[in-house]
Amino acid sequence: MIAVLAQADGFFRDRSGSSCVENNGVCPGWIADHLDRYVDPFLQHVWLVVASVTLGLLIAFPLAVLAYRRRWLIAPIANVTGILYTIPSVAAFFLLLPITGRGPLTAIIALTAYTLLILFRNVLEGLDAVPEEARDAGRGMGLTERQLLWRVELPLALPAIMAGLRIATTTTVGLAALAFFAGAGGLGEPLEADKAFKSNVLVAGGLCVLLATFLDVVILLAQRWMTPWTRARAAA
Amino acid sequence: MLVGPSGCGKTTAMRMVNRMIEITEGDILLGGRSVRERDEADLRRHIGYVIQQIGLFPHRTIGENIATVPTLLGWNRTRIAARVDELLDLIGLEPDIARRYPAQLSGGQRQRVGVARALAVDPPLMLMDEPFGAIDPINRDRLQNEFLRLQARLRKTIVFVTHDIDEAIKMGDRIAVMREGGHLAQYATPAELLAAPADDFVRDFVGADRALKRLALQRVRDIELHRAPLVGEDGAARSDGTPDIAYPLVVDDQERPLRWAGAGAGDVHRVELDDTLRDALSGLLQSDVQYGAVVDVEGRVAGIISIDLIHDLVQREEPVG
Repeated sequence: MIAVLAQADGFFRDRSGSSCVENNGVCPGWIADHLDRYVDPFLQHVWLVVASVTLGLLIAFPLAVLAYRRRWLIAPIANVTGILYTIPSVAAFFLLLPITGRGPLTAIIALTAYTLLILFRNVLEGLDAVPEEARDAGRGMGLTERQLLWRVELPLALPAIMAGLRIATTTTVGLAALAFFAGAGGLGEPLEADKAFKSNVLVAGGLCVLLATFLDVVILLAQRWMTPWTRARAAA
Repeated sequence: MLVGPSGCGKTTAMRMVNRMIEITEGDILLGGRSVRERDEADLRRHIGYVIQQIGLFPHRTIGENIATVPTLLGWNRTRIAARVDELLDLIGLEPDIARRYPAQLSGGQRQRVGVARALAVDPPLMLMDEPFGAIDPINRDRLQNEFLRLQARLRKTIVFVTHDIDEAIKMGDRIAVMREGGHLAQYATPAELLAAPADDFVRDFVGADRALKRLALQRVRDIELHRAPLVGEDGAARSDGTPDIAYPLVVDDQERPLRWAGAGAGDVHRVELDDTLRDALSGLLQSDVQYGAVVDVEGRVAGIISIDLIHDLVQREEPVG
């Protein structure tokens, strides 16, 4: 950790120049000049979030579908993902370091673990909310269990699944700011490097907020596009 | 028609036909083949299925809903589109409704779409579990009549589950009355069921008004009527009546009834040939004359009906005991 900070030190603790910077103000000029320094951390941040949430969905989704069919699996899966959720993320990074070493892999494993509970719960909740009569009619018309899942149950669970995806993504954007502890970079690195300098904190923090908002809107738009029926209310 | 109180197993019996519930003992034959030998999904695709809550897929448009089974059977696009149009026309809905979602339709429209979806591949057999159960009474009556007209054209074999004996009598050709525990209490035509309930359970179930329900099954044209002596407006006798009718009926030159002659009796109460006996009786009870003149569609006298006539009819068909 010391090494991380030391490495970042030389990079950012450069407050020469305008009086605004010397007085620790919010300096548009400094921000404009140094914006390029945030590009790499930002892209790392995006990568961490996208990889973790995607991986989380790939794990949680089949688990939820399995638990949906075999109800006794719900409690153990919810318990395990619940425990993962309660481990402080910094602790998770340090616990993983001896095994997976420093780097994005460690961060992604920990961040993925955090998304599991949210995604598992939401996929399951969505599937449970499928109207029983739609299921019954589907079976009665001769849909196989697999067809029922992909053509009826999952599409109807989409609003809940997408809601879970939004929460998981927003949460992960915040948690990924700690990923530099695992040596995975991200916007937390410049933030920590000079956390006393307002301009720096504003840019690094602001980019996190912008990223979270942007991803949230993207998922929301995707959901609206994928679930046109949810907006078709008695317009007749 | 499977009818009985809730929990009697009528839905279970129906669901065994398409193996939604597995048969543990005995067998069900469809076209001579046991349903147990058929592939579950394939069997169900060839049996129409309508349930009370209808179960339209909320995320599919009406057209896609109707196309469910054709799609499963791999019909091509043009054939499916043509079939959807045809079915919407059959159930009396506009073709542009195909692009709407179920949430945009009224309950009655959804119910019709449910029937259309079940008819999509023209299955010889339909299973219907309380298909009109969730519809308000006024619309239910209309949908029932609509469905009877449809069925008169389609001539499907239908297994219809209901807890409503009136619906069973109205819709059914043959009715199986079931009792708690899956026991078959009686299997008969509506008329037989009402005239001769097998036991106290069936008698209670069909209700104290079963005589009236029987009358609802028969129309005035189905029974033998009295005839009144007819006289013209000039007083000239035109035809003789049966002995039961004492007063001559005055008719115009088209044989349309005008009034009763003599004894101060005045206005004529008219009954139509197509009225049910139940409606005819109700009309007679409300009118201030003993007899009703039965008229055909042109308004000509076809006979005379009386409360006594209806009473005799019920008595004659009711077995003693």
